[in-house]
Amino acid sequence: MSDAVEQVWIDPTDCHYPEYRAREAPTNPYLSHQVTWNETRAFKPRMHLVGRLRYYYKWPGHGGRLWWRKRYWPTRRRLLQIRGEYNPKTMRREKTIVDKRPIWWTLAFIALVLAPAVVPAAGWNTVMSAAAVFGIYSAINLCWMLIIGTAGIFSLASYAVVGAAAYGTTYLAIQFGLPFWLLPLLGALIGFAFGLIIGLPAMRLDGFYYALLTLGVVELCRVYVVQSREFGSATGGLYGAPSYLPASLGQMPRLLFSYYAALALMVFALFVYRFIDGKRLGRVLRMAPEKREAFAQACGVDFIRARIMVFLISSTALGFIGGFYATHFGGASPNLFSFDTVLLSLAMLVIGGIGRSEGAVAGTVIVVFIDRVLIDLGPLRYMLIGAIMLGVVLFLREGLFGIKRQFRTWRDKKKSERRATRAEKGGEMLPEEATETEDKDQIFFRRFDKMQRDFLKRLVTDTVIEEHRTRPLGQHSEALERLLIYFRRQGQIDKYAIMVLEEFRAYRIVALSGHRGTAPRVVEDRNYATPDEAYHALFLRRVQDLLES
Amino acid sequence: MNWSFVLSNAITLACIYGTLAIGISLTWSSLGLVNMAFGFIFAFSGYGAWLASVNIAPQPAVVMAAGVLTGALGGLIVCLLAFIPIHDKPNFPLRALIATLAISLIGNQALLWYFGPRAKSLPRLFGSWNADIFGVVVTSDKLGASLSAVVLLTLILLWMRSSRRGLEIRAMMMNPHAASIVGIGVRRTGFYVMALTGSLAGLASVLLAQTYYVAPFSGITPMVKGLSIALVGGLGSVPGAVIGAVIIGLNEALTSTLLGGQYVLMTQFLLIILVLLVRPRGIAGLLDKAREA
Repeated sequence: MSDAVEQVWIDPTDCHYPEYRAREAPTNPYLSHQVTWNETRAFKPRMHLVGRLRYYYKWPGHGGRLWWRKRYWPTRRRLLQIRGEYNPKTMRREKTIVDKRPIWWTLAFIALVLAPAVVPAAGWNTVMSAAAVFGIYSAINLCWMLIIGTAGIFSLASYAVVGAAAYGTTYLAIQFGLPFWLLPLLGALIGFAFGLIIGLPAMRLDGFYYALLTLGVVELCRVYVVQSREFGSATGGLYGAPSYLPASLGQMPRLLFSYYAALALMVFALFVYRFIDGKRLGRVLRMAPEKREAFAQACGVDFIRARIMVFLISSTALGFIGGFYATHFGGASPNLFSFDTVLLSLAMLVIGGIGRSEGAVAGTVIVVFIDRVLIDLGPLRYMLIGAIMLGVVLFLREGLFGIKRQFRTWRDKKKSERRATRAEKGGEMLPEEATETEDKDQIFFRRFDKMQRDFLKRLVTDTVIEEHRTRPLGQHSEALERLLIYFRRQGQIDKYAIMVLEEFRAYRIVALSGHRGTAPRVVEDRNYATPDEAYHALFLRRVQDLLES
Repeated sequence: MNWSFVLSNAITLACIYGTLAIGISLTWSSLGLVNMAFGFIFAFSGYGAWLASVNIAPQPAVVMAAGVLTGALGGLIVCLLAFIPIHDKPNFPLRALIATLAISLIGNQALLWYFGPRAKSLPRLFGSWNADIFGVVVTSDKLGASLSAVVLLTLILLWMRSSRRGLEIRAMMMNPHAASIVGIGVRRTGFYVMALTGSLAGLASVLLAQTYYVAPFSGITPMVKGLSIALVGGLGSVPGAVIGAVIIGLNEALTSTLLGGQYVLMTQFLLIILVLLVRPRGIAGLLDKAREA
């Protein structure tokens, strides 16, 4: 009752006598209906000063179509996916770079090529050998990512393939005195054969059975290599493979050379990744993700064949990398088969995010840096890697490179939750009711009726009730008059009425049925002596019904 | 070649590895979690038993109880870290597998960091005497290990059959979704299962430490063996695990007598691959009713 603007009541019947001045009388204070209207229609959501950020930077000028013409061999891909569009607000042409990943890759390559120049001289040997290890490991991880991510075969035996190829090529090189360039090719052959052996069960086994089986294969290889005499059980590894480094080089150029060789190997693995994941095989396998194989099969996709193909190609590439490993390190050690190696490289994949090439490379950078450069930490560095891995698994769905998508999903969820809290549903129709009702006027009528009832509830006060008790009929104050008009306008069904039992003696409140031929129903077991008393009791009932609605 | 010696050895190992395999199998079938941190729990409980034997008393009962209790504690830690936070999140089985691998990495390195690389030996729990059974001489530790493994496993299986908690666990094994609908708490059952399987690992650790030693990375080989037995038997099936343990044990005994010790793992994995190619869900694994990964 804050808004008590009109304290004066003007008799409306005085308009019949315009020659006299209208009669005015003091009246109860009441609330203007405009207040409720304004409150209901007000824009309530909390708005912030900063608006929504633009996702894409808009470059000025024409030229979208020019970019479409440039493709690079041997694919039909464009250098950059650039969209040209017309901005109707600024009335200018603008360009959008839709996929910025090629730019990031190029920058990363330039950084990797120039990296040796900025390595501090104090830790040069450590960092450069770690960088060469990074190149080899990221190549292995990219091929493994093909198996896990693209083919969806959860194999833990990738390092076993690499190790088998490394051991095999070293053994052959020692036996037959092979040149270094033959080792990767031989390794590819060994990798193919090994992949054929361990790939066969993958056709029958699903997910975890295969993972556990391959873990067993790794253990088998380790135990075999550790025990076998011809594979160097005594010396802790088999060494003596020819190196690709020219013998005349000094210490620093050797490290530099091996770093660039490892980088070239990584580029080779990236090409393998791109040509499998981005082309026909990758497309086919993206059609058949886990648990939707049956649908893919029904569509005519032979996903088992595609999986085995990817597995064999990656195993061949892994064998190639194994041969390179042998020439790089001059041999192979049983460390390749240890559980910790599998764990660390799985950590590399998981931290970056499974199913993305950039994830494999970035994860390898992080883990190799912690493992090989921060050597002073001792066993603590493995705990650090494990902690990062655990954190990533517990909080992120798709690793570091999935953060963007996960954040957007989360933000959209929060947005829709807020939007849902803003909707006012009380008194109006339920959404499904609203779509099913024939008469759409009903929707708006109920909305208006709810607003009106909210307003009328605020008009009910003790003074209004007292006014009605003293004078149920005749002229009323504005608040009471509005209440009474609303009550009178209600439909006939269950409308209260007064039944005369005996004139001027006994009156009783009944509720009309609203249907012809059906008698009114008695509401309460009480007789009123005068009509005014009955009117007031009926008014109180209606007020109570209003307040309860 | 002493056949009886090899056979008794194989049976002892089969008992111990079978205990591990049943733990792995139970965890997978009731929680959908491949517990790769089993090796860590194994080593952890071994160190717990060693600490108890050094600090409290080198009594057999104390050492065994300490091993089992620390194993249960390790299981609870794994449950808290790898099951509770993500069991209702998307892509749970894979993430849980990786989380348990991470726990195993952290835990093993922590053990190495705290206790150092030197192996510890537990006191002899079963004394040193020999028993003569039908002309076969069996040493006390082998007999004690087999007997205690069999007795404890029987007790646990009886508990699973007859108690309310066991009923809950079995309901989770049949259908976790329906179990949660009828009011079985998934997280609570997760705690029971992980404590139970952890204590199984602790038991196996104490028993195996009679022949081998307690070391930070001693758990990995037993875990791989347990996993392979569980695979052959079919994940989620207790009788299957028992059959698998017997088969693997026999294979181990036969190979080491006929071919030589270094071929054991080879024949074992060839056997596993053969079994899995014929029956992809293991010997007793239910092909259709098995839990969806």
